[in-house]
Amino acid sequence: MEEQTHENLSPAQRVGRAAALGALVVGGFFPFVWMVLTSLKTEGELQKFPVQYLPSKLDFSNYARVFSEQPFAQFFFNSLAVSLLSTLLCIVAAVPAAYALARLNLRGRGLLLTAVVAFSMFPVVSLLIPLFRLMRGAELLNTYPALILPYAALSLPIGILTLVAFFSAIPRDLEAAAMVDGTTRVGALTRVVLPLSMPGVVTAALLVFVNSWNEFLLALSFNTKLSMRTVSVGVTLYQGEFAFPWPLIAAAVVVATVPLVLLIAIFQKRFVSGLTAGGVKA
Amino acid sequence: MTTPNPTPARRPRREPSEALLATLLLLPAAALLLGVLLFPMLTTFRDSLYLNKLTEPWLTGFVGLKQYAQMLEDPRFGQALRNTLFFGVLTVGGSFLVGIPMALAAHLPGRTRGLARVALLLPWAMPPVITGLIFAWLFNAQYGVFNDLLVRAGIIDEPLRWLSTPGLSVLAMVVTIIWKTSSFVALIVLGGLQGIPKEMIEAAQVDGATSTQTFFRVILPLLAPSLAVAFIFRTISAVQVFDIPYTFIQQAPAQGLLETLGVYIYRTGIEFLDFGYAAALSVALFALSLAVTAVYVRFVRDGANS
Repeated sequence: MEEQTHENLSPAQRVGRAAALGALVVGGFFPFVWMVLTSLKTEGELQKFPVQYLPSKLDFSNYARVFSEQPFAQFFFNSLAVSLLSTLLCIVAAVPAAYALARLNLRGRGLLLTAVVAFSMFPVVSLLIPLFRLMRGAELLNTYPALILPYAALSLPIGILTLVAFFSAIPRDLEAAAMVDGTTRVGALTRVVLPLSMPGVVTAALLVFVNSWNEFLLALSFNTKLSMRTVSVGVTLYQGEFAFPWPLIAAAVVVATVPLVLLIAIFQKRFVSGLTAGGVKA
Repeated sequence: MTTPNPTPARRPRREPSEALLATLLLLPAAALLLGVLLFPMLTTFRDSLYLNKLTEPWLTGFVGLKQYAQMLEDPRFGQALRNTLFFGVLTVGGSFLVGIPMALAAHLPGRTRGLARVALLLPWAMPPVITGLIFAWLFNAQYGVFNDLLVRAGIIDEPLRWLSTPGLSVLAMVVTIIWKTSSFVALIVLGGLQGIPKEMIEAAQVDGATSTQTFFRVILPLLAPSLAVAFIFRTISAVQVFDIPYTFIQQAPAQGLLETLGVYIYRTGIEFLDFGYAAALSVALFALSLAVTAVYVRFVRDGANS
């Protein structure tokens, strides 16, 4: 069917479609590709107008400088630790909650779901000051938990809503059968529902991970010690008040974004299904 | 309707363990949401009624709504609020104008779908602060590629000073936010497009509708729920925008024009260490978000009922 409608296209329509697709791909990739090109240029190659588009030779020295001028490896490790742990915490809390909301006979279920939705719109900026004071009081500033706790909480609603959608799609009969065989409710969750909804768990985890990796405001404000910085803040540390060493900044940007680009390339279908389904059902 | 029945002892006998189990399963999530989001927000309400400025520690005590009155007379707050609304209208509108065609392009059948999907996801996944940095470089006055392309195309004669010209810096920031956010709109709309049965579109075409007519009379009305969801989420994120203005302000002298409510709260609290006033500002932003959330919750409920 698809092929047929394709054949019916006039040449003008085909050109139009190719142009639309081309614009989408160029528009989506260009800024990132330009940063890769910038990161491979020398300051001399950069300071030209009209702009020299391609570097004369592949020069990776900017990447070496990213790691020597700031403890960027440490930033990267911090981001990885904070993002992975907050994802773990978020999923561990979201799975049982989503199961209860999707499956159990719960009074006030609609109200609870509404509350989850409302929490998903909670303004981070409004939380900045109270969370800052809370973390300061608990002496948690400049520690991983200062970021892990808010990241897990802020992503929890989207995690729960995504998982509710996936859990609801699993036939109740499968659980019922397991429970007839003597499995408990919790057993049904861990042995039947969870394995079947692994794609949903992965999707939710990916969304939470990206949120945590990208967060800037809380990381900027809570963890000000250089050794506790994350990459989203780290990339802003190469600029002086008036000096912007762009090849260096570009290299830092590329290093900070590579994990995201890899995740997207590998899990593109999960991301799209998670965002499209989770968003509309949210 | 069931009547509220808070005493566990009077639960119907057949499912005593299920209600208990549900409570236990909900407990970790509830602890996180209430402890890390709701409780701090409640303390903000209280803090907004007290003076608390670390640079003037002698000024303390309960002042009631005085800091809210101060807000009304604070020209910087007025400007930040106007900026936030101005950027909100332009960037939410812009993200739909760009996002809907993006979704249509990504929905086209063919072997390039994977590539289109990645192109859609990349701006969505790009950290906002990094997006701000990247575009500050693209808009660079001396060696920026945007100036280069515009000069080559003959649209401008010489490079524009995008970030240091007030009006242009606003335009540059609007473009940056639209690039970053239209892919979110596109992803939600794509979800809507995938849910439209092919037969409906074919039926319209059999009836002789042109593609334009099909789009406006058949596809667009069916996309209404997706568009509404995208609109509300975009509005919320526009009200709270921080990262991109923050990076632009560091490079643009026309700071007043780019300062949003989020940036002003950050500066008041973290830079000027005026926690009391920052709390009052936070409550104002919270109220603004809550208004949008209320619309959304009503929308979801109506959707569930219909």
